[in-house]
Amino acid sequence: MSNPELALVMLSAFIFIILLGFPIAFTLMAMGVMFGYYAYFVPGQEFFDSRVFYLLSQNTFSIMNNDVLTAVPLFLFMGYMIERSNILDRLFYSLQVALRAIPGAMAVAALITCALFATATGIVGAVVTLMGLLAFPAMLKAGYDQKLAAGVICAGGTLGILIPPSIMLIVYGATSAVSVVKLYAAAIVPGFLLAGLYVVYVIVRATINPKLAPKLPKEETDVPWVRVIMLLAQAFVPLAVLILSVLGAILFGLATPSEAAAIGALGAMVLAIVYRAFSWVRLKEAVFLTARTSAMVCWLFVGSWTFSSVFSYLGGEGLIKNFVLSMNLNTTTFLLLSQAIIFLLGWPLEWSEIIIIFVPIFLPLLPHFGVDPMFFGVLVALNLQTSFLTPPMAMSAYYLKGIAPKFVLLWTIFKGCFPFLGMVFVTMFLVYVFPQLVYWLPNVFYGN
Amino acid sequence: MLQKFLINIDRFSMAVGHAFAWCILILTLGTSYEVFMRYVLNNPTSWAFDMSYILYGGLFIMSGAYALSRNAHVRGDVLFRLLRPRVQATIELVLYFIFFYPGVTALIIAGYGYAHDSFGYREVSVNSPAGVPIWQLKALIPLAGTMLFIQGIAQVIRCILCIQTGRWPRQLHDVEELESVIQHEHEKQAAGEGAQ
Repeated sequence: MSNPELALVMLSAFIFIILLGFPIAFTLMAMGVMFGYYAYFVPGQEFFDSRVFYLLSQNTFSIMNNDVLTAVPLFLFMGYMIERSNILDRLFYSLQVALRAIPGAMAVAALITCALFATATGIVGAVVTLMGLLAFPAMLKAGYDQKLAAGVICAGGTLGILIPPSIMLIVYGATSAVSVVKLYAAAIVPGFLLAGLYVVYVIVRATINPKLAPKLPKEETDVPWVRVIMLLAQAFVPLAVLILSVLGAILFGLATPSEAAAIGALGAMVLAIVYRAFSWVRLKEAVFLTARTSAMVCWLFVGSWTFSSVFSYLGGEGLIKNFVLSMNLNTTTFLLLSQAIIFLLGWPLEWSEIIIIFVPIFLPLLPHFGVDPMFFGVLVALNLQTSFLTPPMAMSAYYLKGIAPKFVLLWTIFKGCFPFLGMVFVTMFLVYVFPQLVYWLPNVFYGN
Repeated sequence: MLQKFLINIDRFSMAVGHAFAWCILILTLGTSYEVFMRYVLNNPTSWAFDMSYILYGGLFIMSGAYALSRNAHVRGDVLFRLLRPRVQATIELVLYFIFFYPGVTALIIAGYGYAHDSFGYREVSVNSPAGVPIWQLKALIPLAGTMLFIQGIAQVIRCILCIQTGRWPRQLHDVEELESVIQHEHEKQAAGEGAQ
């Protein structure tokens, strides 16, 4: 068997093993070592002198001293602290009374709360679950359509992995060697565009058919404006300022993403103290969860880098490249094909696996089709919104189903998510047709 | 007896993971201090950059076994979760020997050589004149591998127990993600209401 053929065996065996459900990081590491031993085999050499062992240590260490990935635990810590700062109910209530004049006020407030909270924490599961307990029953009680209410919470909570400062873009940056700073600048406009489309959609639906989103009785929202501003200043403003200062420090080049994340984490602790939510127990929870989730993401990198360096040494990368080039694709069809594959991978897999393991397969092809890796990254980030909303692994829908009242069916939640999926595709299309949506902000900040 | 042995392994991985988890707090405060020194006092430190990746690297590599003991490593378990525990355990037992131990053993042995070389000349970072040592960071690689190896033994025994009894044995618990805590409480509540 020739080496590139062996690489194909390696890739297909890996995909099969993934489906068996074994922890992926270790599968990648072991397969890298085993196939690597064969690939680097030199007759007569001592077993442990094989190059693959040096490669494994070297790759592991290059993840350990990777200054891009340093931001991952810091942003996670910031997220876990904010999650524990008791800010969510105040935030939702303040937005709800502030937006009371708008049709579908509660759903719009829920969307903005989800988007803001998810952006600050970056942890989708927590946002959907917390909002599923807080806003979902409130909307149902107010007579909102189940599907609309469910879609709003699932789609809103998922925005956290897209809108900067998001961990997903750091991971993409570490995978593709595109600067995280530029990725952040590039993802802001598309992220807000998507969030804006969600809001417009809810308002339009509520205006056309007010039965979907009845207005609350006047006495429940009749709060004087001075009080509304006070409420906003207590909940909305501090969180928005925290996010904007972290993001601003990164975009204006005042701090690296890791430094800004550290400041953000410190700010989150201060926020928790101010809201009287800071306790030893909560700090410990946040610290330990940070360690666990960082280990999950970074060990995946350790495995993946070992696997992929052996894979490309065997010529697997070249084989895929030749295969794709032989398909006579142009830029458009290549983008369509690659995004369709990523969309399909999102059904059974989560974003971390897709970005760390599968996106690197596409990256070497980009120059051939004249696609900028930064632009591609934004498309991928948008696309992966769908991985939380499409069955069978629609994590957001499951989180909501887990805490929703019994009479809300899983299928209802899925149906509620579909229109929002449609808007993700619309945004991707707009980004493709008007690349300026991606390039405008990076150009403003950093020139061409 | 065996159960106690398994829980003790969990406890060991957890203790090490928890100890290294506190790196995040030092990392947060240390990096904030650097930013403060740079902008407010105009006097950047020479060690902050090296400190940041050393803390981050130690944090995640030494939490690997802890994450394994809490089943926090990501898996593509769409099909896996539908299987009966006994089938799950059989698959997992086989895969531990094919896809866990070879990689982890290689990590221990290769990492040992790698760290040994680095320790031989007391390697320091080239990023700054401060000469921050980094051989200790490399020494964590074989240690982390060893921790995984030990935790792996506990997981393998659990697979065997599960094949015998048809039920997954108990694992040590500590903190849970907020969503699983809430979801769990909700389930209990719903079950309680159903019983009444």
